[in-house]
Amino acid sequence: MNNILEVDSIQTFIGQFHILEGVSLEVPESSITALLGRNGAGKTTTLKSILGLTPPREGRVVFAGKDVRGQRPYDIAALGIGYVPENRAIFRALTVEENLKIAERKKGDLARRAEMIFGLFPDLKRLIKLSGGQLSGGQQQMLAIARALVPDNRLILIDEPSEGLAPILIEQLMESIRSLSAHTTILLVEQNFRMASQLADRYYLIDDGRTVKQGAMKELVNDRATVHRYLGAA
Amino acid sequence: MLKRNWLYIALLAALIVLPYALALVAGEPLDKGVPLFGQGLMVQVFIFAVFALSYDILMGHTGILSFGHALFFGTGAYTLGILVKYGHWSILAAVGAVIAIAALESLLIGVLSLRVHGVYFAMVTLAFATVGSILVEATDFRDWTGAEDGLHGIPVPDLLNPALHRTEFYFLSLAFAVIVFLLVKRFVDSPAGRVWAAIRENEARAISIGYNTLIFKVQATIIAGVLAALAGALYALWNLSATPLTMDVSTTINALLMTIIGGSGTLIGPMLGAGVLQLLGYFLNTWLGSVWQLVFGLIYVLLVLFLPFGIVGTWRARGGSWRAAWSEQLGKWRGVLKLAKRR
Amino acid sequence: MVNRNLILTLLVLVLLLALALGGLGASTAASVLLSGITLGALYFLVASGVSLIFGLMDVLNFAHGSLFMLGAYAGWTIYTNPRLILNTAPLALIVIAGAAFGGIFAARFAVPRWARWLAALIAIAILVLAVRGLPVDKLVAMGATMTGKVIPTSQAEEPIGAMLVRVGIAFVAGLAASFAMSPRGRAETPSSTRRALATAVVIAAAALAILLLRDAGEQAILGMENNARFVLALGFGAATGALIGALMEWGLIRPLYARPIYQILLTLGLVFVFDQVIRLIYGPAGAFMDIPSLFAGSGNNCPSPDLFAWFSQHCDSILVLGRPFPSYRLFIIAIGVVMLVAVALILQRSRLGMIIRAGVQDSEMVEALGINVRRVFTLVFALGAGLAGLGGVVAAPFLGVYPEMAMEFLLQAFIVVVIGGLGSIPGAAVGALLVGLARAYGDNIVLAGIQLPGMTSAISGSPAIARASTVLIMAIVLLIKPTGIFGKKE
Repeated sequence: MNNILEVDSIQTFIGQFHILEGVSLEVPESSITALLGRNGAGKTTTLKSILGLTPPREGRVVFAGKDVRGQRPYDIAALGIGYVPENRAIFRALTVEENLKIAERKKGDLARRAEMIFGLFPDLKRLIKLSGGQLSGGQQQMLAIARALVPDNRLILIDEPSEGLAPILIEQLMESIRSLSAHTTILLVEQNFRMASQLADRYYLIDDGRTVKQGAMKELVNDRATVHRYLGAA
Repeated sequence: MLKRNWLYIALLAALIVLPYALALVAGEPLDKGVPLFGQGLMVQVFIFAVFALSYDILMGHTGILSFGHALFFGTGAYTLGILVKYGHWSILAAVGAVIAIAALESLLIGVLSLRVHGVYFAMVTLAFATVGSILVEATDFRDWTGAEDGLHGIPVPDLLNPALHRTEFYFLSLAFAVIVFLLVKRFVDSPAGRVWAAIRENEARAISIGYNTLIFKVQATIIAGVLAALAGALYALWNLSATPLTMDVSTTINALLMTIIGGSGTLIGPMLGAGVLQLLGYFLNTWLGSVWQLVFGLIYVLLVLFLPFGIVGTWRARGGSWRAAWSEQLGKWRGVLKLAKRR
Repeated sequence: MVNRNLILTLLVLVLLLALALGGLGASTAASVLLSGITLGALYFLVASGVSLIFGLMDVLNFAHGSLFMLGAYAGWTIYTNPRLILNTAPLALIVIAGAAFGGIFAARFAVPRWARWLAALIAIAILVLAVRGLPVDKLVAMGATMTGKVIPTSQAEEPIGAMLVRVGIAFVAGLAASFAMSPRGRAETPSSTRRALATAVVIAAAALAILLLRDAGEQAILGMENNARFVLALGFGAATGALIGALMEWGLIRPLYARPIYQILLTLGLVFVFDQVIRLIYGPAGAFMDIPSLFAGSGNNCPSPDLFAWFSQHCDSILVLGRPFPSYRLFIIAIGVVMLVAVALILQRSRLGMIIRAGVQDSEMVEALGINVRRVFTLVFALGAGLAGLGGVVAAPFLGVYPEMAMEFLLQAFIVVVIGGLGSIPGAAVGALLVGLARAYGDNIVLAGIQLPGMTSAISGSPAIARASTVLIMAIVLLIKPTGIFGKKE
């Protein structure tokens, strides 16, 4: 299996603070890889570093065989990376349709993929004329994922999708993400270990800005000690 | 005490000796030629040092960005001029009036403008100051302000006449600058000064601790406004006139420039900046003629781009040692070399 | 929410207007009203840019009034004295070409701060060398630009050879400048290198073409029919504003996004620099620009009885309720309305507008979608600056051109955006209208004088009082709703 993304011991500073002190990971194509760790371990910063939103000072970020570290976020994203941030970042002043349309990289991206997107999230079709600010949290999350599906993305970074959602919505969301993986590769940051363990094939554990453990998800599920040590009670 | 402040004390001593040293070197009496002229130049340095210092209270210590500081400088100059020339007030009474009027004006503008933050505040203060400069140039008040020509021929007692008693005026303005410096240092080190600093660092936090930050900000605005007006009043005495230039945006830009050259938030920095700027201005003016103002503007732009922390700020950031500064620069240089090799 | 504000504001406005104008006769009232809308249209052209730029990139551009002034000077100069432009524009363009070309190399190094200083100083030194002795004063002396001493073009211009040398030196200055301004050690993509190269080549070619065709160009422009020349002036003023705005964003403001306070310190400094440059070239005195003949007719049947008659007569004024009103001012109103509609259409209907509306909220997310936000920033800055430049040219036949117009319009634009709320285009429109009307009404009162009951004679004043009085509206708005009528919570 080919790796679509390879991150090699990146070091990231935010202001004076050394946030990532050597994170490494590999994401095989057409898989779901989970990035796990405690609050403040550096999971979100890792995603942002991949995209160049918080550019790493050292290390390598290789996407589809190309070292992208140091490039502008828009250049990196345009290579085919979608981003679903923690706060969803739905544009409130834009309608749902515009929120999708703005993600187009080629004219007609949305029309081409409308069937797939609305197949995954049938609710969005009904809400298409509403403004982003009028959506509920769950709807915003769907829209944020749908937005990452509009262009031809080979990798989607999803940050804490379950945060702040009701259990029933989380079930729906898991279903959507699972069927998504048929179309693209996913790097998932998730606090909800149960959700992550059911979705992901592989995992990376980071702690204090370093990768500390990696492997198949099935093994981690049975490794209670590790889960307890790095993720707290689970 | 002495050890920590030796730089300040040496500077003060040098300034006290300066007129006599000039006289000695030039071989001319104190009230003629080079010494006379040199003192005149320094008087302006002292006046603008106070003006810059008052600006630093806002920008450097409270984190308020005002673009209307010239309003207070001009208010001081015109208040003194009008009261002394047309009201036949004594200088002392006029200075008292300057303080009162400036305090009232800064209270009013502070209360109005401080309802908004950051860039809004800069914008609103600039608007108020522009109104001030429009009004002093308006033909309606020509009898009082002299409109675009300015107010000239302020009558002062001989003892205060800068043309007749230059050395006395030199020491008067030096004393003024020193007193204001010590005063502001006390303010900044006082409990209120610490609240100012807290506002500068993070206003939301200062509020959450329980401070009514508006009161402290208005307080800073008033102190800064009064000091700027006093500097303006002294400027009017020095020139025996008050001109629209004292209210002009370029005067605010001057204060900004001095603060940035010296380093904001350092107190002594802006005063040094005033020195650098005034002396540089004089030499550029004699050297380049009317282009010098443009050169000035360009220097300002370059400073903002490349030396944002000023002389004193940069010095302090490096622990007050050129060696540290050099080694840091060299370290950067090594980084460049390494980078070049890897490519 | 916005709608409620809008209705409320309009109601208060109408009420105030009715009260204010009630005391005047119908024809005076109409004239004051139209004058107010005229000024409002000009204020909108400045304020909308300020608002747009602040909304998207959080930069409050204090130099926006200066862009208005520069636009006015540029339009007026190409209208009356094109040779000045034709002889100086190539130098300015070639510096840009040099900077674009040098940027390709400069971007490959992490230029340390001291080297930036050095590069900036070298660039300025070379630039001074390039323009030293350029006979600007002779080039300025022509026709309406300077009455009395006209110097023929053949004597005013430098020989083409000398100009080419200057162009060469200026190119080197641009190269040096690129090292002062280059982003910190960013990896450039091949496509951006190609783009930069293409930009440099196109601009350099344009510079050379203008220089080589300068005499023919002058003949052609001066030979144009005056209405066509006026349209050219409008376009040129807008383009100058847009170009200077784009350069400002790209070269000066972009390096400072990490230090926002310094951005506005910088733009305030530019106010001063632009003011000095204009005074250096044209002197402190202002000048008038002719009203194009379309709005300057004066036949037997003038003033035109109504707008329809005007379309065939082109009179300098039109009767409004029996009182003549200058037709050129109606043109200003038309331009203001057209630009308002254009801006609204761009924001609501185009992809650029969609990106702007999204970027106002979260420009990082827009970037993460693969959209080149930097380019959008530059574009919006250019758009706002272009509106201001256009406004300057439109204002020139009405108010003249003079250096102080920069501060004057900056002041009014600030009052407008404080009233309307920064970042809101409807706010800018309503604010501009309000300030314009207040100003016109103030002018009327101040000139006619106020006579309150019990006063023996009316107090009258100069227009300066009316100009200053608009700040009162700002003070009132600050007291009632500090974020402005359409402003969101801070």
